[in-house]
Order: sequence, then structure tokens, then C-alpha cells
Amino acid sequence: MSEEQPGSPPERRGPAWLRAGYAQALGAVALATGVSRLLFTLVSPPNLVMTYFVAVTAIAAKYGRGPSVVAALASVAAFDFFFVAPHFTFAVADTEYVLTFAVMLAVGLVIGNLTVRVRRQREAAEGRERRTAALYAMSRELAQAGAADELVAIAARHIGDVFAAEVSVALGADPGPEEAGTIHLPLLGQRSPLGVVRVCPRRERQALATPEARRQLETFVNQTALALERARLADEAREARLRAETERLRSSLLTSVSHDLRTPLAAITGAATTMLEGGARLDPATRLELLESIRDEADRLNRLVQNLLEMTRLESGALRLRRDWHPLEEVVGAALGRLAKRLGARRVAVSLPPDLPLVAIDDVLIEQVLLNLLENAVKYTPADSRIRILATATDRKVTVEIADCGPGLPPGEEERVFEKFHRATVDGRGGAGLGLAICRGIVEAHGGRIWAQNLPEGGVAFLFTLPLAEPPATPPADA
Amino acid sequence: MPEPVVVLIEDEPQIRRFLRATLTGQGYRLFEATTGTDGLVEVGSRQPDVVILDLGLPDMDGLEVIRRLREWSAVPIVVLSARGQEGDKVQALDAGADDYVSKPFGAGELLARLRVALRHTAGATHEDGEATFAVGDLRVDLLRRHVSLGGAEVHLTPIEYKLLTTLVRHAGRVVTHQQLLREVWGPVHTDQAHYVRVYMAHLRHKLEAEPARPRYLLTEPGVGYRLAVD
Repeated sequence: MSEEQPGSPPERRGPAWLRAGYAQALGAVALATGVSRLLFTLVSPPNLVMTYFVAVTAIAAKYGRGPSVVAALASVAAFDFFFVAPHFTFAVADTEYVLTFAVMLAVGLVIGNLTVRVRRQREAAEGRERRTAALYAMSRELAQAGAADELVAIAARHIGDVFAAEVSVALGADPGPEEAGTIHLPLLGQRSPLGVVRVCPRRERQALATPEARRQLETFVNQTALALERARLADEAREARLRAETERLRSSLLTSVSHDLRTPLAAITGAATTMLEGGARLDPATRLELLESIRDEADRLNRLVQNLLEMTRLESGALRLRRDWHPLEEVVGAALGRLAKRLGARRVAVSLPPDLPLVAIDDVLIEQVLLNLLENAVKYTPADSRIRILATATDRKVTVEIADCGPGLPPGEEERVFEKFHRATVDGRGGAGLGLAICRGIVEAHGGRIWAQNLPEGGVAFLFTLPLAEPPATPPADA
Repeated sequence: MPEPVVVLIEDEPQIRRFLRATLTGQGYRLFEATTGTDGLVEVGSRQPDVVILDLGLPDMDGLEVIRRLREWSAVPIVVLSARGQEGDKVQALDAGADDYVSKPFGAGELLARLRVALRHTAGATHEDGEATFAVGDLRVDLLRRHVSLGGAEVHLTPIEYKLLTTLVRHAGRVVTHQQLLREVWGPVHTDQAHYVRVYMAHLRHKLEAEPARPRYLLTEPGVGYRLAVD
């Protein structure tokens, strides 16, 4: 944007400019006189007046009213002096010329005036156009921004540029005290005021005093208010969505946890009371079965509570990784050891490259990931099926894959199974729907990624990555 | 051997009730205490063969009980602790506890820990008593410094051998990374826990049929290692 304020009249361009205008006015009259002198022998004096009108028009167009008035007056004087007998005096022999002078002055002033007005209108139109373009530019930037502070910064910058002013925006209901020399414009929302825009012109206050400038300034401010209102509504909608989501999670937590807690408790209570009341009448096989059911259901309860605790720790941000350098093989071994009983007759094929580097992990948590994934495989596959554990490494990461030969995931469930309380099946085999959500939480806390994919040969593979870093110094070799 | 004496320091009545039934049924003489203070007195007066200590006591920190006991007694201590509190277990072990069981635990698991603890007190440590240790196909002859697997000799480096014999000395008991570092590498390297893991991996590849499903050299994530005894 140039120094020139758009649409401001030429009188405001400064005294130097105006002085040049008066000098030019005299120069133009001198030029007109010179031309008239050349034409003097060919044209009758009244027609020479026309050359002066050209000069007046030109000055009016370029320098505005003051210089054009000077040009009109100087024209009459020069015409009288040079071309009206007696020549080279201001005396007039023929009184008829007094009328010529009067008409000449009047026409000169009118032309000057009209020209100035036309020019001002053009300048105003250009100014409007510039501000409209600026308004459009601001609206476009506002539309792309989201946060209130971004919007405020964009508005302050644009308004400041267009109106050559220092602009600050105060959000909130309390606009603060008015300052002298500063224009306060309220940002009005639909329901309540959103804040106030303070505009302090860099030059004299007059710059924003015209009703048109003021109107345009208000347009800018209203545009800003609209954008802020939109941002606020979007925020509110997002919060409402979040609340609804939290509510939904809470109710599914209650449903799921109360069901998952009660089922094993019912089984334990049932088995124990049967043994107490049935006493000696129960045959040994039945007693054993009841006892095993008590043990297994208690195990299940324990896992559920463990998962709930783990999930709570993940969600509350209380999870602290205790990272150290571990061979992946050791963590896999620990998980398989802990799960040995539940794996039963399943064959587990472990294939880890011998040169797999150490990974910086929290071994307890990564073991939990492996346990949850393996338990899932156990839960959803036949008792004699195969489970594969693979790992591959690149420079940047290790990818661990646990694949089973079960029925796979229903199409479209690959992403959703990692959501809390989501169960891919409804047949009661599923737990609380927390295991995979916990896996995702732990893997992501390690800077990795976890996903599921159905295998073309049947079954599903769960894969997760762990980032690799520069491993620590290896222990000193011994012979 | 007379009935082994156990002092149980545990404030939860349900756990005491269950352990009373289990331990007396298995031929232990059981004395109970519900606070750390009472527990210390009980250990002093009963001179037990093993102490079972819950880490979460109402009157004092379980760690404090271990430290005070260790000032005047070498009695084996088996700690009861919740899963997910691996840090607490390591602290308890490094403070002088001999082993731990995670709640909830089965009777079999606790009895196995007690048996190992009693065997170590009975003085039958492999340092002076038996000179060989055997489990499954693995045999370690401490006098001849000879390790074999299914009758075939296995060559170990000095550090691997030292690591294995340290585990043999504590066979059946959990050994923390710190303990292993101190005993194998000396007190200078105690912040280099990955040394232990790297050498343990070497050992597994020499001694285990399936290193990723170890039979002898078991890992307790977040705590340490345990050499299987059966």
C-alpha cells in the first residue's frame, strides 16, 4: 500500500504539493498566453479565451480547486494584459470585454469545479475498490483461520494496513477504558458483544472522520465479528460433540464393566455355593470342574481389572515409560511364558532375525501389548491352530507381527477394533473391548503405530512398529 | 525335618485366611502379624524359617520392614505385591528380600517360592554343598567349571559362565539386574542393565532349544531373571 491514502482529496497531499500546484497554475497560464500569442494573427481575441480554458481544465484535473481558481483568475488577467487593447496594460478600451472577462472567469471556475468533482469521484471509486479488494482478502484469510487469536491477528493486520492505523483487538465483554485519539468499534456477536476493536490513525484523526471511511471501517469490523462468531460456534459444537462422546463412553464403560464384572462373579459365587451346599454328594469330577471354573473366572476378573487400571493410567496421562534397551526376543519370551497355560496346544512359530538390534522400550508395557495380542489370538481361534510371531527391522523401526489363522476381522473393523469398548463380535467371547485400545495407547506412547489387516490366506495379523534409535555401547567383549 | 516356621505379615484378613488354610494344610507352622511393628516382634520371638511380607502395610512401608529385619536377621523374605508395581518389587529385592509373588497368586506359586527359600536357608547352597546343578537337560558342574546340555559340553565365555553360575547360586529365585551387574561385572557398571540382557540373550542362544520360548532362563519383565528349578 502506498503512502498516499486511498480516496483522500488532493488538498490533503501536503503543502508542498499545493505550492507546486499554484506554480503550475501560473506556468499553465503562461503557456496558454504563449500559444495565444502565436495564434494572435490568425484568430480573433475572444476565441483565444479557449486556450486558457484548456489550461484551467488541466490544472483543475491535476491539482484541484485552489490552483484552478488561481489559473482562472490569472487567465483573465493575462488575457486582458496581452490581448485586449490597449495591449500590455490592464486598462480596457472596449467595455464589451468586461462581459468577456466575467464569462471567462465564470466558465473557468465552473470547469475547474466540475473537473475537480469528477476527479474526486474517480478517486473515491478507486479507493472503494481497493478497500473492497482488501476486505475480500481479509475475509478469505479469516475463512482459513480457525482459532480466535489467529482471527484477531489477521483482522488487526488488515484493518491497520487499509486505514493506516494502529489496530488492537480486545476480546471479551469488558472493552477497557476509551483512549483519547482512538476509535472504539464494538465487535457484535449474535447474542453478546465479542469484544472491541481499537483503531488509532497513524496521522490526523480526520482520516477516518468521513462517513464513508467510517462505514467502511465498520464493514471490516463486522466481518471480523462474523468470523469470531463462527469460530466460537465451531468451538462450542466441538465441545458438545466431545461431551456427547465422553457420555457415550461412560455409559458403555458402565454397561460393559458391570456385565464383565458380574459374569465371572456369578460363576464364582455359583460354583462355590454349589460345593458348600452339595457337599459330599458331588462326585470328584464335578468338584474339580467347579474348582477350575472358580480359578478361571477369578483369572478373568483379574485381567479385566488389570486392563481397566491400565486404561485409566493411559488416559489420565499417569503412564510413565521406563525405557531401557531390550532384546525383543526376551520380551516375546516373557509373554509366551506367562501365557503358556492358555496357549494350550497351539503351535507358536516365532521368527525373529538374529541381528535384530536392541530396542528402547518399557519392557513391562510391551509385554502387555504382546500378551493382549496373543490373548486375542487365543480367544478367537480354534484350540489347535497356529500363531505366528514375526519381526522385521529397517534402519528406522522394528515391525512386530502377530498373525493367527482364525476367522479374521469382519470387513471394515480393522480400524475400529482399536477403539475403546468396541468389540468386533457380539458372541460373548470378547472381553470389555479394552485390550486393543490399551495396545494402541502403549505403542503410540513409544512413538510407534499399530494396525490390523486380514490375511489373504485367512486369519488376521496385528502389526506394530517400534522406532529404533542409536543403540548404546555394547558390553565389552569377553573371549 | 521339623515343621518349617513361617511368619506372615499381612493386614488383609481375606489373604490371611486363605494362607492359613493353605500353609497349615501343607505342614507349615504359621504365626501371623497384621502390622510391620508386630511383624518385627514376631520374627524376633519365633525365629522363623521364612517370612512372608505384604508390601502394603498400614503402619509402615514394607521396604522399611525389610531394612530393619536385615539389620539383624538373614531369614528369607518372600514379598507379596500387586502386579504393575515392578518398581516396588525391585526396590524390595534390592533392599534384601529374597523373592516375590504377585497378587493375585495361586497356592502352587507361593508354595514353590517358599520351597526355594527354605532350600537356600537349609545351607544346601551350591557354593559349598552340592557341586552340581541340574535342571532338565542342563547340567552345571561348579567344581570342574563344566556346562553341558543333554550330555554335550557347551562352551561359555567367562562372563557367560559367571552369569550362569550367579543364577545357579540363586536357582529358583528371582535375581534383579542390579544384583547380576554387581556380581558379574562388579560395582562400577551398575547403570548398564543392557549388558545383562545382551549376555542373557547369548546364554539363551547357547542353552535354550527355543531362545524365544526359554525353558531355563526365565525373564520377569521389569524385575530380573529366574533360573528354573523344575
